[in-house]
Amino acid sequence: MRTILSVTGLSKSFGATAALTDVGFTLAAGERLALLGENGAGKSTLIKLIAGVHRPDAGEMTLDGEPHRPASPGAALAAGVSVVYQEPSFFPRLSVLENLFVGREPRDRLTQVDWGEMRTRGVELFGRLGLPVELLNRRMDALSLAEQQLALIARAVDVDAKVLILDEPTSILTDAEARRLFRVVQRLSEAGVAILYITHRFEELEHVADRFIVLKDGRLAGDLPAAAADHDRILEMMSGRPVNATISRSVADPGAVVLEADGITVPGSLSGVGLTVRESEVVGLYGLVGAGRTELALTVFGMLRPTAGSMRVRGEPYAPKSPRDAMARGIAYLPEDRKTQGLFPGMDTMSNLTAVLLPALLGRFGVIRRAKERELASTWVRSLRIKAPTLDFPVTGLSGGHQQKVLFARQLVTGPEILILDEPTRGIDVATKTDIQQRLVEVAREGTAVLVISSDLPELLAVSDRVYVMREGRMAAELHGDDLTEDAVLRATMGVNR
Amino acid sequence: MSAVSAVTAPSPRLLTLLRDALLPILLVAEVIFFGLAAPDFLSASNLANVVINSADLALLAAGMTLVVLLAGIDVSVGPMLGVVAWVGASLFVAGLPPLLVVLASVLLGGLLGAVNAGLIVGGRISPIIATLGTAAVFKTVLFVLWNSTDVFAGPVVPVLGPARAGGFPLVGVVVLVVFGIFAYVLRHRVFGRRLFAIGNDAEGARLLGVPVGRTSFVAYVLVGALVGIAALIYVGRVGVVQATAGQELTLPAIAAVVVGGTSILGGEGGVLRTLGGLVFIALLQNGVVLMGVPPLWNGVLVGLAVALAVAFDVLTRRTLDKRIGARK
Repeated sequence: MRTILSVTGLSKSFGATAALTDVGFTLAAGERLALLGENGAGKSTLIKLIAGVHRPDAGEMTLDGEPHRPASPGAALAAGVSVVYQEPSFFPRLSVLENLFVGREPRDRLTQVDWGEMRTRGVELFGRLGLPVELLNRRMDALSLAEQQLALIARAVDVDAKVLILDEPTSILTDAEARRLFRVVQRLSEAGVAILYITHRFEELEHVADRFIVLKDGRLAGDLPAAAADHDRILEMMSGRPVNATISRSVADPGAVVLEADGITVPGSLSGVGLTVRESEVVGLYGLVGAGRTELALTVFGMLRPTAGSMRVRGEPYAPKSPRDAMARGIAYLPEDRKTQGLFPGMDTMSNLTAVLLPALLGRFGVIRRAKERELASTWVRSLRIKAPTLDFPVTGLSGGHQQKVLFARQLVTGPEILILDEPTRGIDVATKTDIQQRLVEVAREGTAVLVISSDLPELLAVSDRVYVMREGRMAAELHGDDLTEDAVLRATMGVNR
Repeated sequence: MSAVSAVTAPSPRLLTLLRDALLPILLVAEVIFFGLAAPDFLSASNLANVVINSADLALLAAGMTLVVLLAGIDVSVGPMLGVVAWVGASLFVAGLPPLLVVLASVLLGGLLGAVNAGLIVGGRISPIIATLGTAAVFKTVLFVLWNSTDVFAGPVVPVLGPARAGGFPLVGVVVLVVFGIFAYVLRHRVFGRRLFAIGNDAEGARLLGVPVGRTSFVAYVLVGALVGIAALIYVGRVGVVQATAGQELTLPAIAAVVVGGTSILGGEGGVLRTLGGLVFIALLQNGVVLMGVPPLWNGVLVGLAVALAVAFDVLTRRTLDKRIGARK
């Protein structure tokens, strides 16, 4: 196979931090290469160097035989390097069609934007990738997440991409949506596009990769064909030590029912949903995106008001009017999107961690007792192994996984009776992920009722004692014990009977 | 995520419909109300006066639309107009040929716009802070230039004054031409589409090779150039440049844009919507005067219009965005 992209001796530092050291690999036409590594291993930096966002300090790149030294993202794009970033950037209030052509609008002889040509090319492109053409007219913000992601990939490959870089494209997709994406990736690979694919999901590797490379602390830790992709071996390379990725879990001994919901209806998202969560129990909530999982959590947390149905906490009627009401009843909620719904980006690590508990830290005249606050924060930083240089370190300076731990700790600090976690480990590295999973099971065993929403099925199966599957706003199944298998969950999700 | 609006806000479809139908409904209601309350309101001569009296405002609003689409704003347009009006009127009084006065005004406006652009694009200062700052500077500059002496001047060229052809004010033609050009640019020129892309997601646009800095710079310079023409229309309309000339125009210019339905959060809207918003604001100011309400109250009405329009815009956007968020 013809080599498309070759990278040798690539290094990059930001200030005193070496983000990437002496990294080299090659990528052939039509090859699908998976890039693995923990958060902070240098994956993003590597992509950004190839994509012209940053300039390397040392090293060479060639693209299709030519030296590749992009001065800007635009230059890299023009050379044939196309990236779909992890936080996909698109233009929500423009049509899908226009989204495809931002920055490279076709022009007619009068240099006007050629809308007719744009449409023709859009239709052709969507047809080629097997995507529904009607989507082109819709506004981008009217699409589902999966449709948005596919539109962005369509945009990325339409620039005569020689190299397509996908940065965790499935982290926000459910399995069915991800499979649709794999098919598109497959088609592109068959058309000769070289694909560099970043993922945290091991079970995806066989679908998306012919080969994989592993980064560890900015250095290349491995480069192997997919056939040799033994999961344990990859984990070792990523962490640099043999790891036990599975969490240890004692058998649940659930106590009294803490939370009950019955016939909960929220127009447009939930119709007659019920569930129970007991003391010392981890209950998983699975379903496709849009099945109503988050809406159910928000209803319990007082952010959505049901039009029908009832809830009880420890047998007492419970009808929260706000998150304050919910918190007063001992309910804590970790939102799915830490960037916009949890983190206070301008504040330090400690203030983020203790944000909820401040009333309890107040001394006389309502003065915050800083010493006590520090003590509390440092206890939790140690206990959750949060990697922060100091308590005053800006929270945005922590890696994504450790930011998530801070938010997790913030909820634990309050000692909730009911803990709701919405996608607690999305987009974070394996080691941190395992820490959080381990901890949430421990929290349950100490008596808390834990409700976990996750699109990561292996994770959900690993931590849950019982799993509810939602489908189109209804409860499709409740599985536990021997019935709780991957197959059973997926069947319920898809609405397939045994 | 805020809890309250999720619970109380109407459905997205209804909101979208309401948003698109609101301005036409308000305009019709306004015309009926003032038509009944003030007998002269619908007379041809009054409507011609409205055109003449709001032509300078119209050009400010057209420029403002560009930067609001970028998710920016320029709150210095009023004071900037004052400075350019003083310089233009003084050059004209000093005997400079009219066309050179026009050219000088446009260049000066463009230059002052470039100052804003430099602070915002080069200095990475948020647009509202940067232009609040330059607004204060422009006010002081005008006060110093004015130096206790009003400058009296007539229209520099006839089309920038109250001249009419067949009863229709020529300055209205200037306004329509400018809006026509801008509407064309926003839809059919790459520059226009870039404004929308940047207003949607500046960082995303940059990653796709859109020259974000250069595009924004040009937009703020264009605002200034339009202020240059508007300043001469102002001189032709008022006939004198005083110490606080133009300062009353900033708020109505922003009002025309947001009432028209261009989102203050950027990336959505257009110059034709602004024309609708402008008609609403201009008729409001005129109708209130015809009803005998002291002009002092104009500020209250325009201020209210801005506050309500922005509140509606933000509420709509938040609800629509939340609908997207709920899918995650």
